[in-house]
Amino acid sequence: MKRREFLKFSGLVAGAATLYVPVGFRPARAAAKWRVGFSQVTTIEPWRVQFNKDIKAEAAKHPEVELIITDGEDKTEKQVADVENLIRQEVNVLLISPKESAGLTGVVDKAVDVNIPVIVLDRNVETERYAQFIGGDNAKIGRAAGEFAVKLLGGPGKAAGNLVEIWGGTGTQPAHDRHDGFHEFTDKEAGIKNLLDQQSADWKQDKAYDVMTTALRNNEKIDLVYGHNDPMAYGAYLAAKDAGREKEMKFLGIDALPDEGVTWVHNGELTATFLYATPGAEGLRQAVKLLNGEKLEKKIILDTMTVTKENADEIMRANGLL
Amino acid sequence: MSALRLLSRTKLYWGLVLIFLIGALSSPVTSSGGNIFLSYGNLTDVLRQVSITGLVATGMTIVILIGGIDLSVGSMMAFSTVICAMLLTQQGWTAATIMGAPATAIVAFVAIATLLHFIFRGMAQGKTTEIGHRAAVALDPLRGKWIPVAGGLLAAIFAVWFVTAQVPTKFGVIGVLLVTPCVALLLGSLNGAIIVGGRLQPFIVTLAMMVGALGAARLTAGQDSAVLPVYTGSNATADFEFLRSMAWGIVPVPGLFFLAAIIIFGALLRFTAFGRYVYAIGGNEEAALLAGIRVARVKLSAYLFSGMLAGIAGVLFVAQYRQGKPDAGTGLELDAIAAVVIGGTSLMGGRGGLAGTLVGVLIFGLLSDILQLHNINSNLQLLLKGLIIVCTVLVQERNLAHLVARWRRRPPQSHATQDPKGARSASDTRPQTVSAFQKQREDVHEAS
Repeated sequence: MKRREFLKFSGLVAGAATLYVPVGFRPARAAAKWRVGFSQVTTIEPWRVQFNKDIKAEAAKHPEVELIITDGEDKTEKQVADVENLIRQEVNVLLISPKESAGLTGVVDKAVDVNIPVIVLDRNVETERYAQFIGGDNAKIGRAAGEFAVKLLGGPGKAAGNLVEIWGGTGTQPAHDRHDGFHEFTDKEAGIKNLLDQQSADWKQDKAYDVMTTALRNNEKIDLVYGHNDPMAYGAYLAAKDAGREKEMKFLGIDALPDEGVTWVHNGELTATFLYATPGAEGLRQAVKLLNGEKLEKKIILDTMTVTKENADEIMRANGLL
Repeated sequence: MSALRLLSRTKLYWGLVLIFLIGALSSPVTSSGGNIFLSYGNLTDVLRQVSITGLVATGMTIVILIGGIDLSVGSMMAFSTVICAMLLTQQGWTAATIMGAPATAIVAFVAIATLLHFIFRGMAQGKTTEIGHRAAVALDPLRGKWIPVAGGLLAAIFAVWFVTAQVPTKFGVIGVLLVTPCVALLLGSLNGAIIVGGRLQPFIVTLAMMVGALGAARLTAGQDSAVLPVYTGSNATADFEFLRSMAWGIVPVPGLFFLAAIIIFGALLRFTAFGRYVYAIGGNEEAALLAGIRVARVKLSAYLFSGMLAGIAGVLFVAQYRQGKPDAGTGLELDAIAAVVIGGTSLMGGRGGLAGTLVGVLIFGLLSDILQLHNINSNLQLLLKGLIIVCTVLVQERNLAHLVARWRRRPPQSHATQDPKGARSASDTRPQTVSAFQKQREDVHEAS
């Protein structure tokens, strides 16, 4: 094909495509009284997907609110641009779940400067000018997991066993908090031995599988695996299963999403998982409160919950999975 | 000197041997005194772990050999994992089957038509060799056109029937292994078509595909399902487990796929005209074009193979990790390129081969395994990996014999003036001329 022909051809294709696109285009809801902008970090991580589901479900209960969700594609620059764009659109409230604290602080200030109240979700920013912060407490969840682990291995003072811990990203605060909280309990027990030194699987099931494969090769006795999130604990479980050793050990995870951790606990693959609630629903409720002129508390910490075989079914039923 | 030359010629393998020795000697032992690194289970673990990167690196080698680059392999693999997981777990006409059916039909049509055409031409050529060289034969329309087209159509119809038969139920392992690579193959050939047809830089075209295919993967997976879990036996057929099992209890199946790809494409590069053309185009595209090689076709096939192998890698990913997800292949293209370059293939094209890539991929895999066995902290692992990659490439690119000779014979006072080599950097743009130049100098040294 000659270059010119090729260009002509691609021009035609592009033309045809633009003709086709507007068919699927729908204008925004006109009836809404208020516009709430929500800047999300990324939409391809399961926890974030649940987060978006929660906030959308809550928004559906409030017809007076039009919710605009942006996707930061896991990049600080993109999220900053998203928020600037939402400010241009003159939203009435800005909800933001920052990728990281330092990088997003400036743009939160910018929103407050033009009198848009900001509700910060999940991860905080380095300014006090926001209207409210809603988030979980990773250290608290880590402590819950640590206490549970000690009980599982024989109880306080008597606990003994070999522990494999699979980190999320070693450079992220949640991973450190989940580690520190957990070790507040396990480090008190002389019988608990840590087998790995900061092995990170980047929150991913596939990487945890590979870390665990080698750990199994390297250690003949493993009693407990603690993953900083459920997919990693499950990846480790799969590696143990493929090695035929999954019965020897117990697996703990964090997050307790209904279609992940809770399901795996229900199937008996994980022993327990600890809820890291998404601030989606609460965030939107608080935004509506704010728009109705109510005063907000500065900080809301969402509670955790231990999900074991006993209550897993109930949660799954509540989410339509059973 | 000849021992050194031998060493220099086989240096590709010494890195691998060295790393293997380090692994074996430093390995932790089991309570019964067995060497963990050398245990059969550990070595097959390594083979299994490298097979996904390895398959992608195989395609990447061909693309790099023609002087191109394919940045889209990671995204194409991610797209394939999504397609594969959807085929396995969802019934009826989903996005995956809607894309898969025509893709398989197109690939079947083109593959069979081309094959028939080749066979007829080969038979005709066999008859008309007269003075010892082959004359170009014009086939009559029946054999040249109509029979291949008819055969292709038959194959396409068969493919459509095969796919639609499985749509109401979930796909089995064979269906997935056929359909998924076909979709990825079309993406790869789209890369090739745009590069050849638009005469654009492969870097930017495949970069666009990298972004585009990621978007396609996310759209296909849908907003509400970041991860598509595949539980064989409950939401997918149990026969899919075959792809993560050990074949005859000795070789992991993914490793078998990787080794097969190395052997098939290695033979293709070494023994066929296609292979010669690949090297010729990588060496000098202009000259290859003037010599009458159909450069466009060969280039297109290179990207097509790359896409296809990324597709197979995607299926193996789903089998191993029980999930398909749009962010599966993040950073995979860089791992693959690194493995190819460690294997001694020149990024400028025309030099290198698949044996090197096998070595490069294994070095990578063994390295991760050793670092992990020693329980070295993840952050430190990254640092060490970077260092070792640079060292390996340095050894790979420099002429070893000359380095040693210079070190032995250099008169201490004239170091700076005599040898401009220190000023040459690893990013030298003409490796071939440089090594030829070095060889000449070396010969002069020997003669004196």
